Order: sequence, then C-alpha cells, then structure tokens
Amino acid sequence: MSALKTTLQGYLSYKGREGHLSFVLHRLTGLGTLLFLVIHIFDMAAFYWWPTFFEDALKLYRTPPFMLGEIALVFSVFFHGANGLRIAFVDMFAPHKWAIHAQRNAVRWTLAIAFILWLPAAIIMGSRLFG
Amino acid sequence: MTTRQVQVPANFETKAWKWMRYSGILLIPLVWFHLVLQDVIVGVHDINASYVALRWATRFWQAYDILLLGFAFAHGMNGLRQVLRDFVHKEQTMRVVHIVLFIVWAALTFMGAYAVIMATNSILAG
Repeated sequence: MSALKTTLQGYLSYKGREGHLSFVLHRLTGLGTLLFLVIHIFDMAAFYWWPTFFEDALKLYRTPPFMLGEIALVFSVFFHGANGLRIAFVDMFAPHKWAIHAQRNAVRWTLAIAFILWLPAAIIMGSRLFG
Repeated sequence: MTTRQVQVPANFETKAWKWMRYSGILLIPLVWFHLVLQDVIVGVHDINASYVALRWATRFWQAYDILLLGFAFAHGMNGLRQVLRDFVHKEQTMRVVHIVLFIVWAALTFMGAYAVIMATNSILAG
C-alpha cells in the first residue's frame, strides 16, 4: 500500500515541467487506450461468438458518453504515438538532442502536432453528437 | 588506448524494451489509419454487422485486423506491466502480476484472432 502512495505522490509532486507532463500523459493515454482495446477485443470477438452482444455494444457506443470517450480516445492515440515517435527519433537519430531545453521544446511540438491531428477528427466526430 | 567490446546477452527486459520500440513505430501507421478510417471517416453510427461482414470478406482486412490485435495488445499489456512495476515493489507480488498478465494477454489474443479467422472463413464460405 505504501508503494502505491509513494509512487502516486511522486507522479503528482515532481516538478519536471514539460518532461513530467509528457511522462504522465504518455502513461494516462496508454492506459486509457489499453482499457478500450480490451473492451474492443471483446466486442469484436462477440461478432463471431455472440452476435446479440455485438449489436448491444454498438448501441452503447452510439450514446453521447461513449461518443465523447471516442473523441478522447482519438486524442490519446495521436498523442501517445507522436510522443513515442519523439522519444524513438531522438534516441536513434539525434541523441545530442537529449538536453532539457531541446526536449522542452520538442514536447511542446509533440503536443501541438497531436492537437492539430486531433482537432479535425474531433470536429467531425463532435458534429455527430448533434446530428 | 584499446576499447573492449562486451556483448551482454539480451535478457527478457531488453527484449521487452526493443519490442516496445519497434512495435510502437509500426503501430503508428497501423493504428492511426485504423482510427481515422473507422472512427472519423466511417463513424460508429455506420458500423454494424453487415459492415464488419463486408470488411472481413477480404483477406487483406482480416490480416490487417489480426496484425492490429497482435501488435497493439502485446504493446499495451507490456506497457501495463511497466506501469505496474512502478507500483508493485515486492518481488513475489510482481511474479504473480507477471503470470496474470501473461494469461490475460494469451487468452484475449487467442479469443480475438480465433474470432476474426472463424468469422472470415464462415463469410467466405457463404
């Protein structure tokens, strides 16, 4: 129990600015995506094993809370991928960029790219909430 | 001065780390395209049993979805394992976590892949 408290306290109290933000966001977006992926494996498996469950799951996904969750999911996947690509790219091709100042900039760029990719998708999916 | 090259045998954690990097790079085009197609272009309101049947009637989409399942779920479960390693500090508890994660990963991967293959086969058989 204390390990849980210590780790969570570290997540919250560490003041690492952009690096800290990207670390926490990478974990949250990754875990969120995994949560949906587990549900998604069940609903697609149900297409074969249990078709009525597949239809029920789709009805549920068409409700506003799940449609909002879907918009959040798309941001999560875009950010998680862009941030992972930043880390992999610097590691493999530009290790001299592993400096705090350069990485603070890179994290801001990563957030901007994820946001730019997400925005048109969010507008299209969001318009279906009212359509 | 001479330098000595030391080959350290790759242990499980090294392989897991490499798996995250290379599967991650592959997942970017694979998952981004999947999301843009299904969630944005088609949308959840137009996805139903006949749409899925139409998609899985081609071997290409069957293979695409199995690749997605295999790479994304193994990437995600290993990510979950890495997060849990931050929270579980007891060696013995971590061993239990490893076993549980492995069973869940194997069972769900099998369940999903089996459903895709069997559904596709029954669609193609008419």
